[in-house]
Amino acid sequence: MDAIRRSLLGQMVRLSAGAALIPFSSLAQAGINQQPARHEGDPTKRYGMLVDLRQCIGCQACTVSCHIENAAPLGQFRTTVSQYEVQHQESGELATFMLPRLCNHCENPPCVPVCPVEATYQQRDGIVVVDSDRCVGCAYCVNACPYDARFINQRTQTADKCTFCAHRLEAGLLPACVESCVGGARVIGDMRDPQSQISRMIHEHRDALMVLQPEKHTLPQVFYLGMDERFTTRPTAEPVALEVLDPHGQEMGYEFHH
Amino acid sequence: MNSTIELLAPRYDIAWYPWAVQYFFMIAVSYASLWLAAPALVLGKKAWLPTARLALIACVSTTLVAPVALLADLHQPLRFWHFYAYANSHSWMSIGSVVLPLYLVSVLGLAWLAWRPALQAQRSTPGLSGMIATWLSLGSGITPRALVAVVGLAALGLSSGIMLYTGAELAIVKARPLWNTVWLPPMLATTGFIAASGLVLVLNRVSRLCSQTAIRQMLYVLLVTCALAGLIAISWFLDGVNAHVGSVAAALESVSHSDSWRNTALWGGITGLALFAAVLFLLTRPTLRQKHARVVLTSSQPALFAWAWLLGLVAIHMGWMFRWVVLMDVQHVARNSAGFHHYGIPAGSSGILGIVGTFGLWLAAILLIELFIPWRQAQQGGLIATPTHATQDASTHSLTAKKGASSHA
Ligand code: SF4
Ligand code: SF4
Ligand code: SF4
Repeated sequence: MDAIRRSLLGQMVRLSAGAALIPFSSLAQAGINQQPARHEGDPTKRYGMLVDLRQCIGCQACTVSCHIENAAPLGQFRTTVSQYEVQHQESGELATFMLPRLCNHCENPPCVPVCPVEATYQQRDGIVVVDSDRCVGCAYCVNACPYDARFINQRTQTADKCTFCAHRLEAGLLPACVESCVGGARVIGDMRDPQSQISRMIHEHRDALMVLQPEKHTLPQVFYLGMDERFTTRPTAEPVALEVLDPHGQEMGYEFHH
Repeated sequence: MNSTIELLAPRYDIAWYPWAVQYFFMIAVSYASLWLAAPALVLGKKAWLPTARLALIACVSTTLVAPVALLADLHQPLRFWHFYAYANSHSWMSIGSVVLPLYLVSVLGLAWLAWRPALQAQRSTPGLSGMIATWLSLGSGITPRALVAVVGLAALGLSSGIMLYTGAELAIVKARPLWNTVWLPPMLATTGFIAASGLVLVLNRVSRLCSQTAIRQMLYVLLVTCALAGLIAISWFLDGVNAHVGSVAAALESVSHSDSWRNTALWGGITGLALFAAVLFLLTRPTLRQKHARVVLTSSQPALFAWAWLLGLVAIHMGWMFRWVVLMDVQHVARNSAGFHHYGIPAGSSGILGIVGTFGLWLAAILLIELFIPWRQAQQGGLIATPTHATQDASTHSLTAKKGASSHA
């Protein structure tokens, strides 16, 4: 669309009733949908994770160990590694791109203020957790997280998500996914401690680090090193995994068309 | 990077089930029909009496069923009391959980006040309905007109709260660009009015009230709301193609390559236009008005009005489909993986059974009102309270009977 037509249409929009709705929208966003106070956790710490994609081989060891450590029901995951086959534009060379996904423990987490019973809250060390005894299972937070990091646990019927393995951190252990990572791609630590590995790596690679969906202003605290910017948002990829159903409509497996 | 193929991605379930559609539909019909009943109920406009009678049934029945659907959408429904024990003023849903019960009480109070004189008149009827009327009417004191207006105004105020919170609850969700727009709340309200006026048209037909006035009024409401809905949809679209509003642009982008979404948009657009055109057609037919209006009262109404209930069905369909698309289809747009998620609607209580069940419950509520509430005789707003014999049942009855008859087709 050419520029003149664009601006003409733009004028029309601005003249329309939209302007009247703007105060309402800022109230809805800012006034009511604000972050509640953080509580619990060590205020002297701020946990974060750095995923060095150059080290990730897509083995899914993290997926499996997290699944076992946190007893997630079959088919539901706190972390997964998305895999893409990419082709070089000029050479036509094929490569696989791996992208581990987990909760970003956002600095401005949209999943927290929406919770009607404050079952989801952010600790003062930045970790976002769910009180499963309080959660009513409304799934509002599941819809509000842009990263699909949450799910309703089929067994407990409450919201579930990555906790940075807070129970292990408390005991002085590393999270299951970090512990099991073959290439040492996942680095977790206290970003307030300048001597921690994560702080040093953030300092060293500051300009190369990327986060997922930065335009959502959630300020994710899981940083990716060796990231391709095109994968920070929903990938424009071709989905090829097709479900194969048996005659009774039960799922038997997947099939690849390419 | 010419081509990218997603080899592995987890399957993400939908978080809100069709129950949510049922809740959003019921509660929208509820608040919209309350406003349709308001001219007679609160302002005492006699011309709106037949509409108000029908709208009040629509309002009460949906207000009763909506919270059931809402509870059912919780994965832990028995913990609903947590909403009150741990209310969170930062959450629109929590605000809604406070407004909703107040709204429910105000609607029931209003309906009780509006129906009470007619209930009092029915107390002497033998059998169960007489007993229930005696029990429900709570004595023979008068129903002050002012009280009806005050409760009516309170209900209208609370209904605005419902409109606001149901809209805002979705509009603030940045994670779903198709929801994250200021245009969604007004569109939800507008389509709510479309569905509610459609429902009044259908109730007008199935209850055999067949009031021509109600049909005409509802067609006018449909005309205005369809035009409004069209304007809102166009503005939303313009916002997106101009990329003034990032979320709308992102929303358009997320579905622009999908055939099923294109079909949905086409379907919505065509249905809306067709409805608008049909309503306009009906309203502009010659009314054959003659000199002695009283004689030709029935024939002076366009015969086509007898078919207006069909448009009512289309209007209900629009209101419901809009919510289905907004709540269910939008959840199918993948956020972190390629393409779209595909879910069949499960047969169980979280799917088809839930949808059918809520509609069944709703029908039951309407039938109970039809059985035990003399809504046809209701003089909204206690208007009939005659100065001397405010509690005289007979006078109430004859007056309404006459009015009722004149509005028959
Ligand atoms: S990634 Fe999602 S679940 Fe985790 S803090 Fe951010 S918004 Fe919340
Ligand atoms: S599902 Fe649970 S944690 Fe999430 S918003 Fe609802 S009550 Fe809060
Ligand atoms: S930190 Fe713990 S919960 Fe989070 S992805 Fe790793 S193993 Fe799973």
